[in-house]
Amino acid sequence: MGTVGEERAKNKRGLQGWLNPYHYNAERWAYMFQRVTGVAILLYVLGHLGDTSFFVGGPTGTGPSTSGWSFIGSIFENSFGHLILILVVLVLFFHGVNGIRLVFSELGLIMKKPSGIEYPYKPKSLSTGQRSLIYVGIAVAVVAALWTFLVLFEGMG
Amino acid sequence: MKESRLMLVQYTTAVIAVVLVAIHLIMQGVIYPYSTAISFDNILSIYKNGFYAVFLEALLVVVLVHGFNGVRIILHEFRQTAPWSMWVDAGTVLAIVVSVAYGTRTVILAVFGVVSP
Repeated sequence: MGTVGEERAKNKRGLQGWLNPYHYNAERWAYMFQRVTGVAILLYVLGHLGDTSFFVGGPTGTGPSTSGWSFIGSIFENSFGHLILILVVLVLFFHGVNGIRLVFSELGLIMKKPSGIEYPYKPKSLSTGQRSLIYVGIAVAVVAALWTFLVLFEGMG
Repeated sequence: MKESRLMLVQYTTAVIAVVLVAIHLIMQGVIYPYSTAISFDNILSIYKNGFYAVFLEALLVVVLVHGFNGVRIILHEFRQTAPWSMWVDAGTVLAIVVSVAYGTRTVILAVFGVVSP
């Protein structure tokens, strides 16, 4: 029998274990996507902080600047920029709806009563209601992305 | 702050963010056409309206606290040593302070600054 450190090192799978989808159930996939989309959204928000700062002339600006805003528009207001926005909306809506599922789960509102672990080792606390919210999240994200496509490329809104 | 409190902060900011981000998105392509929403004059009028300026500042704080606290939680899941925890927590606070300060600067200059060409 190894030491605690050896046991820990043997069982530590790090990032590879986190991203390895082998034997994932829907909740485990949602866990992974919640984190991946969360990091992606944060990176977008930081970029958005940077681009909106050009409304006041950028990092060295002193007030609302039409030239600064035109400059940033010339970079991002094109098909590529709009495609990025559609992807952001897609991950944002999934993250939001799945996040609501997590809040409800944390409060115990959509979970069943936990029970002992027995064959075939399926967690009895995971209700179909909370699982269906994962699929609702995917559906809402796709609809929102389609709406965004129409707004950005077809001038709807 | 205790981890249980920080998780409460995470869930509270999540719920508030859902509402604020929904309003923000509705203003970008539902209330106004997108081309109008991102026009200089429209954005300026939004900033000059005190209510929306406060709304944007609240959105900034809530989203950044939620986002960086989320990254902090992920990093704590990867590793649990005391020095790692300390650096991650300190880095999170620093990241929130710096990014909120930069965003707040944009709001303040947009509200009180003089328009230039």
